[in-house]
Amino acid sequence: MANSVEAHHGEHEHHYPGFFTRWFCSTNHKDIGTLYLWVAMIAAIIGGVMSWYIRAELAEPGLQLISNDPEGRQFYNVLVTGHGFIMVFFVVMPAMIGGFGNWFVPLMIGAPDMAFPRMNNISFWLLAAGFILLLIAAFIDGGPGTGWTVYPPLSSADFHPGRAVDFGILSLHVAGASSILGAINFIVTIFNMRAPGMTIHRMPLFVWAMLITAFLLLLALPVLAGGLTMLLTDRNFGTSFFDPGQGGDPVLWQHLFWFFGHPEVYIIILPAFGIISQIVSTFSKKPVFGYLGMAYAMAAIGVVGFVVWAHHMYTVGFDVNTRAYFTAATMVIAVPTGVKIFSWLATMWGGSIRMEVPMMYAVAFIFLFVVGGVTGITLANSSADLVFHDTYYVVAHFHYVMGIAAILGMFAGWYYWIGKMSGRQYPETLSRLQFWLFFIGVNVLFFPQHFSGFAGMPRRIPDYPDAYAPYNYISSIGALITAVGTLLFFVVLWRTYAAGTRVGANPWGEGATTLEWSVDSPAPWHTHEDLPDMAGKAPAE
Amino acid sequence: MFKRLIIKTSVVWLGLLAVGPVLAEEYVARSKPWQMWLQEPMSPSAEKINDLNVLLLWIEVGIVVFVLALLAYCIIRFREKRNPTPTKTTHNTALEVAWTAIPVLILVAIAVPSLKVLYYTDQTPNAEMTLKVAGNQWYWTYIYPDHGDLEFDSNPIPDDELKPGQPRLLSVDNPVYLPANTNIRLLLSSNDVIHNWAIPSLAVKLDNTPGRVNETWVRINKPGSYYGMCSELCGVYHSFMPIHIKALSRENFKKWVVKAKLEFAANSRSDETLRVAQVEIR
Amino acid sequence: MASLQTRNRRIAISLVTLVVGMLGLAYASVPLYELFCRVTGYGGTPKIKIAGAPVKKSNGTIEVRFDANTNKALQWHFKPVQVKQTVKLGEPSLAFYRVKNTSANLLTGTAIFNVTPFKAASYFSKIDCFCFVEQTLKPGQEIDMPVEFFVDPEIFSDPKTQEISAITLSYTFYPVERDEDNVDRTLSRKSGSNDEIDS
Repeated sequence: MANSVEAHHGEHEHHYPGFFTRWFCSTNHKDIGTLYLWVAMIAAIIGGVMSWYIRAELAEPGLQLISNDPEGRQFYNVLVTGHGFIMVFFVVMPAMIGGFGNWFVPLMIGAPDMAFPRMNNISFWLLAAGFILLLIAAFIDGGPGTGWTVYPPLSSADFHPGRAVDFGILSLHVAGASSILGAINFIVTIFNMRAPGMTIHRMPLFVWAMLITAFLLLLALPVLAGGLTMLLTDRNFGTSFFDPGQGGDPVLWQHLFWFFGHPEVYIIILPAFGIISQIVSTFSKKPVFGYLGMAYAMAAIGVVGFVVWAHHMYTVGFDVNTRAYFTAATMVIAVPTGVKIFSWLATMWGGSIRMEVPMMYAVAFIFLFVVGGVTGITLANSSADLVFHDTYYVVAHFHYVMGIAAILGMFAGWYYWIGKMSGRQYPETLSRLQFWLFFIGVNVLFFPQHFSGFAGMPRRIPDYPDAYAPYNYISSIGALITAVGTLLFFVVLWRTYAAGTRVGANPWGEGATTLEWSVDSPAPWHTHEDLPDMAGKAPAE
Repeated sequence: MFKRLIIKTSVVWLGLLAVGPVLAEEYVARSKPWQMWLQEPMSPSAEKINDLNVLLLWIEVGIVVFVLALLAYCIIRFREKRNPTPTKTTHNTALEVAWTAIPVLILVAIAVPSLKVLYYTDQTPNAEMTLKVAGNQWYWTYIYPDHGDLEFDSNPIPDDELKPGQPRLLSVDNPVYLPANTNIRLLLSSNDVIHNWAIPSLAVKLDNTPGRVNETWVRINKPGSYYGMCSELCGVYHSFMPIHIKALSRENFKKWVVKAKLEFAANSRSDETLRVAQVEIR
Repeated sequence: MASLQTRNRRIAISLVTLVVGMLGLAYASVPLYELFCRVTGYGGTPKIKIAGAPVKKSNGTIEVRFDANTNKALQWHFKPVQVKQTVKLGEPSLAFYRVKNTSANLLTGTAIFNVTPFKAASYFSKIDCFCFVEQTLKPGQEIDMPVEFFVDPEIFSDPKTQEISAITLSYTFYPVERDEDNVDRTLSRKSGSNDEIDS
């Protein structure tokens, strides 16, 4: 299948436009993907520095870095808020969906580009604008100290009178519009632009993940946009959707926010599921076990994800039957996620496993996801939530299951595809060191937080009673190790581009069966102009 | 050992003689360094949740160990060197049914006791008194509607004003006094933003939402000091909004009410006349 | 078959419709949520029966407790006259709240309310309440405000609510005009809303 493509691309190889046209007016899915990855990396540095500042403050009881006055404490809340917003909206989503999605969905389904290349460009620049708006928000009028959940009345004009929250809302509006346009682009591309014979049930699981993610975005983000608009008009134009004094209800915001917020965590983790499936299959030299089950497990997670939102709100004062329903519905999610975990294990079972760096990250992902997943079972129980709600147990849970797991998925994807993206392979030893530092770092960082949570330490506090000191100290050491691991990643990045060994079309050998490995490395500017014919081929599992 | 006990007891007794019964070595419910489990459960709800958490944790540890063992086995047994030719198996219906059905059974086994506990914690059983808790930025107001509308604010004590023995970030000027072994109805409200009144050892955690009142209940197992912190981000001093419950025996609580009515008399009814007076002067 | 571009547009348009639909749903949730709360008593929203007494009567009794809150922006002193009442099921009962304007300004407030435990709300009906209209008080003025309500005897037939020993009715007064220090504007609005005091 590779021959026709390879024969063709040669003509186009050197027809790159000039720098400005190429990077600012780009309509090429690979270039836009690269841009997204760069923005995600820049945002990750900023979001990461925020989290290390938080951990440095929390290393010891008392206030070390921030001043003990309202300004200092507001700054801490802004850090907490900014870290959440940046990591969710400007690191994981751009990297996974904008970056890897743009790069590899067209390659994997045998399409020459995305369905709407110019809209793709708009999506990217909206995201960049959103990021700038968020940074502006952080630096004016004391910044938004509301947490990423932006609960009114704290986020209302009475308690955040400055412009900071307005800029934050605008930032999310713009980033949301970017994601909605991107999602439309992905769905149309996947529905209409598959190569002949690439049926829906032959698509690689990463493409499946992107398809389901795109649908989640389309259904969830408009609800956030609606809620944010209500908040904006409440703040500025005298409406009272969330103002109890004028007939509104602050709890309504929580419903709207979490109706978006819960699917959002699947938007973050489903692409990682897709990447991990590709990697486990490649390095086990086996097709994915239970391909259809894997695809439909993701679909099931997406569907169930829309009817469990109120488990984030167990303590707002709910009717007991409501809480019983959400407890039961939430636990149901454990079944399709279990199917995924066991299918990955079954894929490895009987395989011929090569522990390359992407595979190490994939295994680490499975480990972290399982640990974070089981604590999720505890938190699903409304009764247990009477003890755990808003403690560090929750912090540990969602960093394991969603935050760090997604980051590991991103690293896995980067190491897996960097050969295809840059034409050069990562430096082996340095990359392995980077993996171990990062993996050990995040576990030292987040595992003790389970105990802090058990002991009752609340979230989002800059200072804590002295009894919580030991675990917080360990946590901060973990943050330091993680920081070194992250720094090392940028060294790896530099060494790869500066001195990585050149690789051919398929550096991974017989396990790598998906279409992106049939084109040259680095992938030429134009690929799949003659659509590859997949008719009669085995499913691209 | 025995000798030390005698010394300890006599110290306590001397203490009792010296400063009266209030300062007897009291039970203190708050977190301890290196604590690896929940705070000691001190209410019927907390006991049930504690037991549930034991069950949950064992199941979860079992799952993690099982998956980790499989993962490790795969990596070692099926590594390239030892298993150069991979199998082509991609389906096994029996296995797939099993790993769907068994988790369902486990979840049902969790859900049944969990929901029982949930319904138990929800029902306020024949409350003998009511405490109203109003959240403010950044202190709590406690009101006892059944005790002549006794009302006072509970402000945190800054670090530099702490007396010896008072834990940092947990101590307040006016703790909320409650009788032990009494079913108490809790009404939670807020005067500004959303707060959350939470005491881990009693398994009480409920939002104080402006514009509405939430209800829950608590029964404190024995006299002592119970500490908690605000558990919903409420602004810049969110971390500095401690809750300190002093649970007394029922008799001592009655005595305290008499005393407190005098102490806080200015807070309830008369404070309205005070305010009116101020207005008129202005 | 239509060209790829046409087919692409077709799907894109239906997806945009989906997005607009979800946005509409978010806004529709505001009235729907309110309606849902009113109909089911969700979130402790009591029923409102403007006219007519309850159908059924019964010999059972239940304790009803009264709770009052005032938003900080409103300088009023607001308390129930009675802490609690024991009421006969199915029989209309009358209770009073006392409110006093402790400021030097004419102030208008409106009260919002809920009932706890929430599950009792669908059995708690208000016939008449001061919270149905805005209240305006002159500086220093003090009034007693009535609330008439009844508790549906069905409350003890429902296994969910059988165990309830007391229902709490809670009010929070909010200022209608939100200018806390703008005295002039508050006073200039004197005419018009003044009549409501005695009604």
